[in-house]
Amino acid sequence: MKEKILPKEQLPQILKTLLESYKVFAPIKKNGFYVFGEIETPDEIALNYLNSKIPPKEIFYPRTEVLFTFTKSPQGIDIQEAINPSESRVIFGIRPCDAKSFTLLDKFFSYGKFKDPYYQTRRENTLLIGLACVNPRSTCFCTSINGSPFGEEGLDILFVDLGDKYFVKSLNLKGDELLDQLPGLTPASEKDRFNMTELLKKVLASMTPEIPIENINTKLEQLFDEEVFWDQFSQKCIGCASCTFLCPTCTCFDVVDEETSSSGKRIRLWDTCQFPLFTLHGSGHNPRPTKRQRLRQRVMHKFSYYPKTLDEIGCVGCGRCIIVCPVNQDIREVFKALQET
Amino acid sequence: MEKLEKIMQDTAKHFLQEQKVDLIIGYKQGTIPLRTTPCFVTKPEDISQLVWNVCCDHDLTNFLLQPEYKDKKVGIIVKGCDARALVVCMAEGQIERKMVTIIGMPCPGMIDRKRIESELEPKEILVAEITEDQIHLKGKDFEQTLQKDDYIQASCKSCRYNNPPVCDVLIGGQPIELSFNDDLDEKLAELEAKSPDERWTYFTTLLSDCIRCYACRNACPLCYCKECFVDQTQPQWVGKTTNISDIMFYHMIRAFHVAGRCVECGACTRACPMNIDLRLITRKLQNIVKDRYGFEAGLDPNVPPPMGTHTMEDPQEFITEPE
Amino acid sequence: MTVAEEKSQIKEEKSWEPKILAFLCNWCSYAGADLAGISRLQYPPNIRVVRVPCSGRVNPFYLIKALQAGWDGVLVSGCHPGDCHYLSGNLVARRRFAILKDIVEFMGISPGRLNFSWVSAAEGEKFSKVVKEVVEKVKKLGPIRKMVKE
Ligand code: SF4
Ligand code: SF4
Ligand code: SF4
Ligand code: FES
Repeated sequence: MKEKILPKEQLPQILKTLLESYKVFAPIKKNGFYVFGEIETPDEIALNYLNSKIPPKEIFYPRTEVLFTFTKSPQGIDIQEAINPSESRVIFGIRPCDAKSFTLLDKFFSYGKFKDPYYQTRRENTLLIGLACVNPRSTCFCTSINGSPFGEEGLDILFVDLGDKYFVKSLNLKGDELLDQLPGLTPASEKDRFNMTELLKKVLASMTPEIPIENINTKLEQLFDEEVFWDQFSQKCIGCASCTFLCPTCTCFDVVDEETSSSGKRIRLWDTCQFPLFTLHGSGHNPRPTKRQRLRQRVMHKFSYYPKTLDEIGCVGCGRCIIVCPVNQDIREVFKALQET
Repeated sequence: MEKLEKIMQDTAKHFLQEQKVDLIIGYKQGTIPLRTTPCFVTKPEDISQLVWNVCCDHDLTNFLLQPEYKDKKVGIIVKGCDARALVVCMAEGQIERKMVTIIGMPCPGMIDRKRIESELEPKEILVAEITEDQIHLKGKDFEQTLQKDDYIQASCKSCRYNNPPVCDVLIGGQPIELSFNDDLDEKLAELEAKSPDERWTYFTTLLSDCIRCYACRNACPLCYCKECFVDQTQPQWVGKTTNISDIMFYHMIRAFHVAGRCVECGACTRACPMNIDLRLITRKLQNIVKDRYGFEAGLDPNVPPPMGTHTMEDPQEFITEPE
Repeated sequence: MTVAEEKSQIKEEKSWEPKILAFLCNWCSYAGADLAGISRLQYPPNIRVVRVPCSGRVNPFYLIKALQAGWDGVLVSGCHPGDCHYLSGNLVARRRFAILKDIVEFMGISPGRLNFSWVSAAEGEKFSKVVKEVVEKVKKLGPIRKMVKE
């Protein structure tokens, strides 16, 4: 754990150094919104952002990826795995909530005795450098879910914007090592540390009040069959699934084979519980035929099943689902209604 | 618009009290600035929830097709584009005219919150007030006033029927005439004048961001098929990946499936989480059916949609006829 | 690209022959093709035929999928308007293909890749001419690259 100070004008230098030995992903502005993309020069970065519209999970868990290819030969079927050890990478400027989402994805992709090698190989070689939120959105509710705008979970290094300089904190050994290689850093003083804590206090005070979510999973379980409760929300859902596609912790996928008579590949693609097809059985039966059940699934999975199986809430409070929903489905309303029942 | 809002509420209330309708589908205030959210009112005393403003951009006809409203008498608040979508559904036998009471709103054009939000980021809007021609925004350390006309949604600027062509009552009784500067037709003409290769480049670039989430399909009031072609697996005609060939396949067929039905409501473009602008495609569809069959979708529930009918004399200049 | 590679590619392109997938209506064009064969009429060997019960049976998927799979062009041929075995299958198809073609060409596929014709069972000669014309058109366009998957 090291604490340093970086004058803001030195940032390009840092990025340049990183670019020499890493593939660097950072927020960039595209089509009027922010996404995480690979940058080649320091000036492509756009740090003046609230949060990226598309969560950075894509970097480890792409929208579509080939798992393996197969070819038929007279000798039989030849299978080629498509796991490519990735080059060393850095994600720079990631928000604490998104960094935390990776700890959830980590758990999901290594649940039980199976590890997902596709996710793992990309994840292993990647360092996460976070940028604390000094300007959280009104839709952010990370603090309600054990997170913080200055949260450190999942990160190797955290940057905090103190106005004309960054407070830079390494959070583990990997972070320490990286900091040692970066130019322009000076040790942080007591005053800097004080400023940072003060800033955190100010930011926390500016945030939308916490939503009480204790006992949420038991409450949800009791309400499982309450149609009226779920209907009040699901009624207006149009099932577009933007909420799940753009959620940093949603991981559901579909696997399809694409083949010709002699060769083919197996592909994994993002899928979503918001589509009826997701649960449609071969027999034609669908255990979640209505949007009531599908919305319930989205809520239950994150706030009841996740705590049960992985001991943690499967939501990081980034508020993306609230922002992106075309009909303004606001998950905080569900929590509120839960409090009232 | 407040005046219209009041009349709309009174009318809706009247319909509920008279039991002409079982419920009203309308808009209420959303949970974040510049947003409204669909609302379903069954009791006359709840009618004051209903709002009418320039953030009522969502198309509510979508809901009418859902099984829970199949046998209900529904009153629905519609703008011009929504009414047209409703008419298409009626022409296609999806909705019975007598089951719906159409409360028509003359639409002044909706505002483009996505663009406002994106231009302001990293500032966040916390309070928004909209007057006849201005949008006042307030946030943590800022206050700003925008001219409403500068932030009208692109699809509203190119709208041709902002007043419902079919409705039971037109709130306020007065149609509104729109006069926005719009360059959609010019842009389309420009694109059409290009070579196929250039157009291919244009569309593959435009659509390369598509993540195949199908929000455009789900938001479309006319995409009501029980099983969509993209969901069919036996056989699976359209690849599900984000390979550009699969993306183009999807968008070609999606366009084909809404040809002669699309009412240019812009719901698809609005819903796209990747900000992909599909309006050149939807405008092209209007022109195709207009030029070929003299048809415009959503104007008359008694005229069959062009893909559901045919004549012996249909144009066939594209048929190969060797000398 | 090395000179040798370039040369071989040029050679390859010179010897390239278009592959065209033809959907022929069982009641007319398929018989027309048959007649062309029986009458010993010459036409280019570039088409592969899929027999369909009616031109109205041809789903747009088939055509786009064909391009995606690397066919350089497609041809759908049915009975003349008014002669459809199922009365109006080809009239439905005519609207369908008109719109499909407009959309697909608007999005950048070159005109000439998607082709449609009416050929009756008695028009063996017309069939051979249609095929010649279509093959010529597609030859001019060269191998398909745009929709091909990978
Ligand atoms: S984004 Fe909104 S409308 Fe779309 S599936 Fe999610 S809750 Fe439903
Ligand atoms: S295709 Fe788009 S513009 Fe056309 S009706 Fe559907 S949602 Fe509206
Ligand atoms: S909504 Fe946008 S990203 Fe989603 S499938 Fe449609 S065009 Fe693609
Ligand atoms: S039977 Fe030949 S086109 Fe219909």
